[in-house]
Amino acid sequence: MQPGQASRLAEWISRYGLLLALVLLAGLLSCLTPNFATAQNLLIVLRQISINGILAVGVTYVLLTGGVDLSLGSVVALTGVVAAGFAHPGEYPVILAVLVGILAGSGCGLVNGLIVTRGKVAPFIVTLGMLTVARGLALVVSGGRPVSNLSSSFTVLGGGAIIGIPIPVLILCVVAFASHVFLKRTRPGRYIYAVGGNEAAAYASGINVTAVKTLAYAVCGGLAGLAGIVLAARITTGQPNAGIAYELDAIAAAVIGGTSLSGGVGGIVGTLLGALLMGVLNNGLDLMNVSSYWQQIVKGLIIVGAVWFDQKGRR
Amino acid sequence: MSIRFQVGVKSVAAVGLSLLLLTGLACSSKEEAKPAEAVIGVSLLNLSSEFIVMISESMEQRAGELGVELIITDAQRNAEKQVQQVESFIAQGVDAIILNPCEVEGSSPAVARAHEAGIPIVNVNSETRIEPSAFVGSHDEESARLAMEFIVQRLGGNGNVVMMHGYMGQAAQIKRAQGAREVLEANPGIRLLSEQTAEWDRAKAMALMENWIQSYGDQINAVFAHNDEMGMGALIALEQAGLKDRIIVASVDAIADALGAVSEGRLDATVFQDSVGQGRTAVETALKLSRGEGCEPEVYIPFQLVTLENIDQFR
Repeated sequence: MQPGQASRLAEWISRYGLLLALVLLAGLLSCLTPNFATAQNLLIVLRQISINGILAVGVTYVLLTGGVDLSLGSVVALTGVVAAGFAHPGEYPVILAVLVGILAGSGCGLVNGLIVTRGKVAPFIVTLGMLTVARGLALVVSGGRPVSNLSSSFTVLGGGAIIGIPIPVLILCVVAFASHVFLKRTRPGRYIYAVGGNEAAAYASGINVTAVKTLAYAVCGGLAGLAGIVLAARITTGQPNAGIAYELDAIAAAVIGGTSLSGGVGGIVGTLLGALLMGVLNNGLDLMNVSSYWQQIVKGLIIVGAVWFDQKGRR
Repeated sequence: MSIRFQVGVKSVAAVGLSLLLLTGLACSSKEEAKPAEAVIGVSLLNLSSEFIVMISESMEQRAGELGVELIITDAQRNAEKQVQQVESFIAQGVDAIILNPCEVEGSSPAVARAHEAGIPIVNVNSETRIEPSAFVGSHDEESARLAMEFIVQRLGGNGNVVMMHGYMGQAAQIKRAQGAREVLEANPGIRLLSEQTAEWDRAKAMALMENWIQSYGDQINAVFAHNDEMGMGALIALEQAGLKDRIIVASVDAIADALGAVSEGRLDATVFQDSVGQGRTAVETALKLSRGEGCEPEVYIPFQLVTLENIDQFR
């Protein structure tokens, strides 16, 4: 092979490495089980990744600034029980439950952001604190019990479909598209990349670093609120102990998708591919009836393998 | 010098703030100063589980009636924390201890410490390897046996079942699986099509059920889930796929949501575990032991199958 060709191949892999891994995995699963590559199953996979997908899009904002948000799972639980409290039949319009849930989430995110920026406390610690505070609040608000008896106009957000496409999938699409445009095409979006890439340089060039970072945490919290609403609607109850360790899956999806843990690099398209890879894996292993012990081992290996493969392409 | 001074001021402020918080919390929880009949320390498995909250509430109610003071602590599923809680009860000189064990082996040292200190200890709901002064609870195998026998009967002894396990390796999962297997072995006409864990979680159970529908579709005749949360998840997934009228779902615990679903004719059966009976009897037994009165070493509280026919007794 000539050097020119080799470098072109390397460039191709670097752009589409993760996509290639995903296609390979899907191809393998289609050969191994006849139930994988059906339209119905692929829709199910999309529905199953929608909650993790929304969270992963949100955490991408924070990761891009060089921060991290460990409180997502607890915020999902808190916003789920809060929204469910406003979603009993015949009490309030659904839109209020949704707004309250999103506001509760962005409130948590705002607090995270303000303490990170104004208080100069490491994001790891701030959001770790929020992880236990939000979980505690969820238990206090709900009295330790699931909030049930939700109106059908609320649960349709998790279980319904429009022209055959599940509503959670549509929500994820809207969130992802809007975030992609915001991050790539708007000034505040580009500032998020600039702050994560080199905070000192961003500051020197006149960017309001504090505002940009706080915005990222607030958006991330708000999207966690949205995910909490979709989860509560899907399982038809707001649960104070829902969402445990969801933050790890969300961060994993973003990082698999090429978003750097040190900030400045990555994006929404990659994050979606990462979430999709994890979802296809979960679904495929269940379809093949792999034992639950082995599922955990296989998942871990494939996640690390995918990132390794991807990074090898980039170098 | 000034930096050190600042650090000093800050840590003094932090310590002061936490002391203030603590005294505030302590004052708000102390309502009356009447001398109690007895002081009983309680270490619970996990106060974010609805079932344990119900046990805890019935304990407090019975203690109020008997004039007993309870010190309730939450081990948050952590056996080591539980041992520490029991050690601090011993140091406080309580009259008796009620233990709701986290783990069969891991919580055993707590029982041993109480024996060494000569303080009576009552295990409620689950067991430890080291025998306590008395045990109050049910045999978990029986709950699964009741649910599985219901399925066998409804299927007329022939058909295919799938089983959703709890968190693998926990006592309840092991025993419920064992009870279910005993019934399956006695009924060779019933085939276990697949078994997988959904980790007690409703959202995971929905995903698993959706995936099973893809793999087995029409072949599934019944679902047995180790708890109601997963049973409800399977139920919702089946309803969304339009399959519920052909597939029987039974699960264990009789949480409020599951009882509602049984009364609406959606869930076919759940198994009632008497949290109120367990909580009240545990306090009574601990009080008897603290007075040096004898009692049965094992107070057994039976499970009951709940179906549409007898639902009115449980609501």
